Amino acid sequence: MFQDRPLTGYLLASPALLACALILIVPVGILLSAAFQVDGRVGLGQFVSFFADPLNQDVFWRTLRLAALVTITSAVLGYIAALAIVGMSPGKRSLVTSLVVLPLMISPIARTYAWIVILGRSGLFNNTLQGLGLGDTPLRLLFTEGAVFIGLLQLFLPYMILSLVSALENLPRDVTAAASVLGANRWQTFVRVILPLTREGLVAGGTIVFTGSVTAYITPAILGGSKILMLETLMVQRVNVTNDIVSASVIAVILVATSLVANDLLRRLATSRRERS
Amino acid sequence: MINRLSQTIFMLIMVFLLGPFVIVLLAGLSAGETLTFPPQGLSLRWMRHVFTVEAFHTSFMLSLWLAVASTVLALLIGVPAAYALARYPLPFAESIRRIVTAPLVVPGLVIGLALMQYVVVRFDVPVALALLGSHTILTVPYVLRVVGASLAHVRADMEEAAYLLGASRLGAFMKVVLPNIRAGMLAAFILGFITSFNQVPVSLFMTGPGVSTLPIQMLGYMEYTFDPSIAALSALLALLSVLIMMVAERALGLSRFM
Repeated sequence: MFQDRPLTGYLLASPALLACALILIVPVGILLSAAFQVDGRVGLGQFVSFFADPLNQDVFWRTLRLAALVTITSAVLGYIAALAIVGMSPGKRSLVTSLVVLPLMISPIARTYAWIVILGRSGLFNNTLQGLGLGDTPLRLLFTEGAVFIGLLQLFLPYMILSLVSALENLPRDVTAAASVLGANRWQTFVRVILPLTREGLVAGGTIVFTGSVTAYITPAILGGSKILMLETLMVQRVNVTNDIVSASVIAVILVATSLVANDLLRRLATSRRERS
Repeated sequence: MINRLSQTIFMLIMVFLLGPFVIVLLAGLSAGETLTFPPQGLSLRWMRHVFTVEAFHTSFMLSLWLAVASTVLALLIGVPAAYALARYPLPFAESIRRIVTAPLVVPGLVIGLALMQYVVVRFDVPVALALLGSHTILTVPYVLRVVGASLAHVRADMEEAAYLLGASRLGAFMKVVLPNIRAGMLAAFILGFITSFNQVPVSLFMTGPGVSTLPIQMLGYMEYTFDPSIAALSALLALLSVLIMMVAERALGLSRFM
């Protein structure tokens, strides 16, 4: 019924294919190609002049640094949370899992705005400090790298936890017991047994968190403002303030390249897992 | 000892993930004029206030309309694509899949800027139409993933049996396949609705006279105003998501698809 008719198949897939090509592939292709043009010729000049500006360099390194920091922190916290979740009874586990998923469903603006309430001048943190008599002048916590870091961590930690939970669920059941029978303490069991066996889950979760942080807009926009620019907020500034599409296209190339590399890594992990099982 | 320590850290992580919502809810119930925490007394005044702001009202209606229309469109073009990929022996199937799931890979801000710059401005396309198109392709990957997973459970020989018994191809699809993928379609609808309704980066550059989605309107509002109305609105949106999520979890076990 299906074998002889690939044409029907193409026909069925064509509306989605066409929509995606017209709305995304072609315009994005044009935007990205603008980054490689210098006076009508192909070249890397735009990248050179982009990175010649110390402000742009700052933003570039800050973005990578914050994304790396968020990824590492979420890996540490993710393992603690995932190990706790996997050790729960099935009923409790599904409840906690849906509590971890819940934030992902909530508007990222609402999620980020909560940190304004907590870190603002007359927010929870400063009022608590003053209430305890620990300080008279409110600390400036918003529009700092710390605020952006906290916001990104809260936004992306659930992905890491979910990824590690599914990796730990696939762990052969007796390996940790075997390790402790053979005399390994908990730390040794973690480093030598659990970590290597859940490496793919860690890489998968880490890739999602890292790419998400590099391409984040809402969190740096709300919690970093124009003081703590990241790549996407810089891009918006360039377009809205100076209408500088060329700089924006250079940033777009960096963002898309990061995403593509990360995505390719994830896809390879997924196929290698499928081939082995 | 170590067990107790890791339990404590785990509790702190959950507080870190969920606590902010409690705080934003309380801040939204504030009776005071400015955003402070702890709030100066509790009242529903800001919750009521957000319903009276004209800009929130129109942008909410636009976001709602956009979320429903784009998700329905995404199902209309996504289900046939998922079906084609599941059933037909297509050469280049992997390339098709890659093109259609590109919206998950390309950052939203890049999509929005490119579309605005090279389509809307150049060809004078209405902004609302560009929003509809971009939100639609954003949802198609979810349709492909969720409906594709459902299709994998519907055996092809059931359809072939219907076909051999005299049903047309379309009839076999409608009577045999469709009822079996209804749950997947509903799950895709909910995921798509939430994706579109909460969407910021793709919509950011796509504003025109009188056309602005609710999240973009909120971002603009919070730059100049420091009253608790954004907290109230955030709390209301979060409650709405919790409600949708609870219904979906009951009905479908949505967390399986995340």
